[in-house]
Amino acid sequence: MTMVLSSVIFLGGLGVLFSLMLVAAQRKFAVDTDPRVAQIEEALPGTNCGACGYPSCALYAEAVAGGDDLEKCVVGGQDTLRALASIMGVEVSDAQREPKVAVVFCQGGSDVSWFPGVYRGIEDCAAAEAGQDVAKRCQYGCIGLASCVRACKFDAIHMAPNGIPYVDASKCTACGACVRACPRDLIELHPVSHEHFVYCKSQDPGPIAKKVCEVACTACKICVKAAQKDDNPSAVTMQGNLAVVTPEPYTAKGEYGDRCPTDAYATDRNMVNRDRVLSTIRELQGTGVGS
Amino acid sequence: MEFVVLFVTAAIVNNFVLHYFVGICPYVGVSKEVGAAASMGLAVIFVMTLAGIAGWLINNLVLMPLGLGILEYVSYVVVIASLVQLVELFLKKAIPALYRTLGIFLPLITSNCAILFLVLMLALEEYGFLESVFFSLGAGVGFTIAIVLMAGIREQLEQADIPRAFRGAAVTMAIAGIMALAFSGFAGLV
Repeated sequence: MTMVLSSVIFLGGLGVLFSLMLVAAQRKFAVDTDPRVAQIEEALPGTNCGACGYPSCALYAEAVAGGDDLEKCVVGGQDTLRALASIMGVEVSDAQREPKVAVVFCQGGSDVSWFPGVYRGIEDCAAAEAGQDVAKRCQYGCIGLASCVRACKFDAIHMAPNGIPYVDASKCTACGACVRACPRDLIELHPVSHEHFVYCKSQDPGPIAKKVCEVACTACKICVKAAQKDDNPSAVTMQGNLAVVTPEPYTAKGEYGDRCPTDAYATDRNMVNRDRVLSTIRELQGTGVGS
Repeated sequence: MEFVVLFVTAAIVNNFVLHYFVGICPYVGVSKEVGAAASMGLAVIFVMTLAGIAGWLINNLVLMPLGLGILEYVSYVVVIASLVQLVELFLKKAIPALYRTLGIFLPLITSNCAILFLVLMLALEEYGFLESVFFSLGAGVGFTIAIVLMAGIREQLEQADIPRAFRGAAVTMAIAGIMALAFSGFAGLV
């Protein structure tokens, strides 16, 4: 009995002692925090998903109060964006308000790209990439094992019959799950109205790129020169052996991909085989195959 | 002389990370930059030394005389958790940048097995007060040495062309193993 009593007294005393010490320390080392941080944290979804690039909602709240961009929370979407904007006292610009959609930067399906091998490994893009065991010759293009399709929780991305994922913009929430699933970083989030892109990530020099894929960017610079001629040189720039369309709303100036010899520079409207792809996907959605 | 031997034993020969394999979590987690690793080491030295002293006092002045050996673990955990909170509060106020760098690993010192291991070991080996102080200090310094060395190696590895399948955690584990092998060479020192 004495043992129980002395245990209780000892542990209780220890707890009280240290809590007093901590209270004193808390007083002494008190930090003035921005009251907006707590408000912002309240407005965020609190899922700690990490899609904004910060490990937790609390850290993103601190970053926002410190001046970081408001639209990084993809889970909260437009509602969260408006809430954050009202807390921070800023207007939401049109570009921020516009919903984003996932864009796949590869058109090299089995119909146009060279597949010298047959892959018999795990049905997962990251596994194939880690093992350097990809059937496709292009080392920058889509591996085609549908990791992004499996990552999508919204049934918004499907494999087209040629083995390239196709995003259904009406279902895409821009959550970024497919972006993280792709080991070759071929999927990016862009505002819905941006349709002009070079749908290719190949850094191969022109002759090789052309040899391995019919719709690769061959770094011929026709689009870059067209943009320069149009006095809009920042619209399309070369990044290594790849022409990249600047993701700004430059579309008022028109597009520069009309003369792209390989159709790598395309709009969503004239994406290679788009009609065939769409009709097949509609059929597949009915049967549940391909998801 | 006896204290020096004890210090070297704890710091190098029986290095906590590389000989006993305790405290692996921050050892791998915070060893990406030498600066952050050194600060983590300093925080651990501080917590270890204070925890060692407080643990010794509690063990020898309260627990042993009252025959309350069964409360050893509970009271040590209380002590360690409180000390870590103290360090956290202090860092948040004094060096906010460092507080953010250490991130989750700072509160995780609470559950760092190296510290509980140290306090339990002091009781087990029945060290005297000064011996305990030097041993605790040595253990903290040993942890710092291990984590700073690891961070230095990993900074170099940033530039290395590592085979793809070997990148990240795999190569870190291999390095930790090789470092442990190297440190086993100190076994005959004392």
